[in-house]
Amino acid sequence: MRLFAAFACIALLGACAIGMPRVPMHRFVGGDVAAVADAMTEELANGPRENEALVRNILGQCELMLGNTSAAFGHFDIAGRIMGNWSTSGGEEFAAIVGSESSKHYRGDPYEKGMNAFYLALTYLWRGEPDNARAALKRGILADAEVADERFQADNPLLFWMAGRMSLLMGLEEDAASFFAEAQAANAFVAAHGSLNDRESVVIGAPAAGNVVLLFECGMGPQKVSGGRYGELARFRPVGHPAAGAEVFLDGEPLGRSSVISDVDYQATTRGGTVMEGIRRGKAVFKQTALVAGETLLRVSAFKKGNKAETAAIVGGALILLGLLTTTRADVRHWPTLPGSVQALCADVPAGAHQLVIEFLDGGGRVLPELRQEWSIDVPEAGESWFLFRSLPGLDRTTTP
Amino acid sequence: MTVMPGISRSVLSRSLLLALLVLGATACRGTIDRRVSPDEPDPVGGANLRSQDIRTMADKAVREIKASGVLLRVPEGQTISIFTQGLTNESSDPINSRMITEKIETELLRAFGGDLIVLDRSPEALEAVRKERAAKRSGAVANTSGRTSPVLGADFLLKGKIQDRVLQARDRKSAYYLVTFELTDLESSRKYWKGDYEAKFDSEKSVIAR
Repeated sequence: MRLFAAFACIALLGACAIGMPRVPMHRFVGGDVAAVADAMTEELANGPRENEALVRNILGQCELMLGNTSAAFGHFDIAGRIMGNWSTSGGEEFAAIVGSESSKHYRGDPYEKGMNAFYLALTYLWRGEPDNARAALKRGILADAEVADERFQADNPLLFWMAGRMSLLMGLEEDAASFFAEAQAANAFVAAHGSLNDRESVVIGAPAAGNVVLLFECGMGPQKVSGGRYGELARFRPVGHPAAGAEVFLDGEPLGRSSVISDVDYQATTRGGTVMEGIRRGKAVFKQTALVAGETLLRVSAFKKGNKAETAAIVGGALILLGLLTTTRADVRHWPTLPGSVQALCADVPAGAHQLVIEFLDGGGRVLPELRQEWSIDVPEAGESWFLFRSLPGLDRTTTP
Repeated sequence: MTVMPGISRSVLSRSLLLALLVLGATACRGTIDRRVSPDEPDPVGGANLRSQDIRTMADKAVREIKASGVLLRVPEGQTISIFTQGLTNESSDPINSRMITEKIETELLRAFGGDLIVLDRSPEALEAVRKERAAKRSGAVANTSGRTSPVLGADFLLKGKIQDRVLQARDRKSAYYLVTFELTDLESSRKYWKGDYEAKFDSEKSVIAR
């Protein structure tokens, strides 16, 4: 009985690992974002608190697609604060190092923090707060600078470009020029290093152009998986989705094609190694060594007598148990509903009501009819209008934020 | 009694106990839910302006404005009027800056009492005033006090800016915040008072987030 209780205790300790929230991805890809929102609301209420930022990010996206920008803002704001917090309790740190890494609070990789900043900035802009939108983007840029591989630090053109446009809305022209220069440098760098970004991007080339900014989320972002003998390595693999770009028609006339401003797959895979990866590798070595040493000690104890045999058996048994219970698996929680890329098209559009048709295109430039969207937009006399569209079926709406 | 060849039950129990002791610290943690003073150091952490900072900067600004005497230099029988504008946030930390100006307004009214008129110039308030006045003038609603007056003009504007300087290298980050306030005479455009509040944070990134 006592043995059973001890095993139960150990099993409970191991149970602290937190898995991915249950996101009905087939429904998301099918455009049933209301069902995903319901599932995430349930997850937020009853799921582990350690996943709060992740769940809120997904919920924020769903609310955006459902047209509830105010609710989306709330979720992205809270998620951003959790993701941006550097401090952790000693207990959480110890548990993640000694026990399962996924027992810690999800705070996301730099590319995920950048995407949170992107969504949060948009919602701030729609609230009429370009200064806070810019603050969110600057926070995203700083998060991108946390990438371990220094070559790929702060190389997200999307964040710099948007921060430049927000600076213009704030009347800070010098700041805008500086952000635009950074956006152009980042775009040239990522385009030369294998991202989908267009080296001669019209949007980044004329960063302040247009009173209407159309943003497109195309495809699906990468999936994080574990690899290595003990699952100690975190790796990304692309998720297939046909949408690779968008073509836009305004009042029946072609307006142009979108250009890639942020390649999310590229941003994810260039994050570099992490300190935790080194720790997990060390734990994998410990696990293997403990199992071998424990087994050896148990064998030795069989040939000894008295106290020596008992001590060898105790230590050997403990080592085997520790080896078996050492969790080396990488924390593969990730934001599964991100797009594969964020693209943009800017245009000068006369004030008034307009009909917008968006045709999402596959990699070969062919129209994907099931993703066609028709929108009615209203362009004001002054200022800028920003719109966000996702390459999912059934998201047409007659009004925009 | 032996449970495995060569291993007694007591040996196995002690092995389990030893393993449990080592793993004990990895146990799941409980949650915290308690009321704390807004002046208490923020247990959540983060290199951001916190409740302490907002309370302190509002208190400091109002004390300095009062000490400067700017808002008390008026002829007998007259009262200075002022309105506040949300702070422009140039930092890398999104913040509801109205929270700061609301706190300052509250502290101003507390400090000056009837010697100061604080005007609400928010678009929502002006719209509410416009609608209510129109309803009263048209007789749709009763003007219970019987008084009519023009919308008050302001003598002073209190506005400000939040700026930061963030330095980041590997696992360390420092964030310096400078919040500046200024009181501008809306007749002469002269800045009669300027004050600031500074805060600096030093953060080390947890090893599990690196």
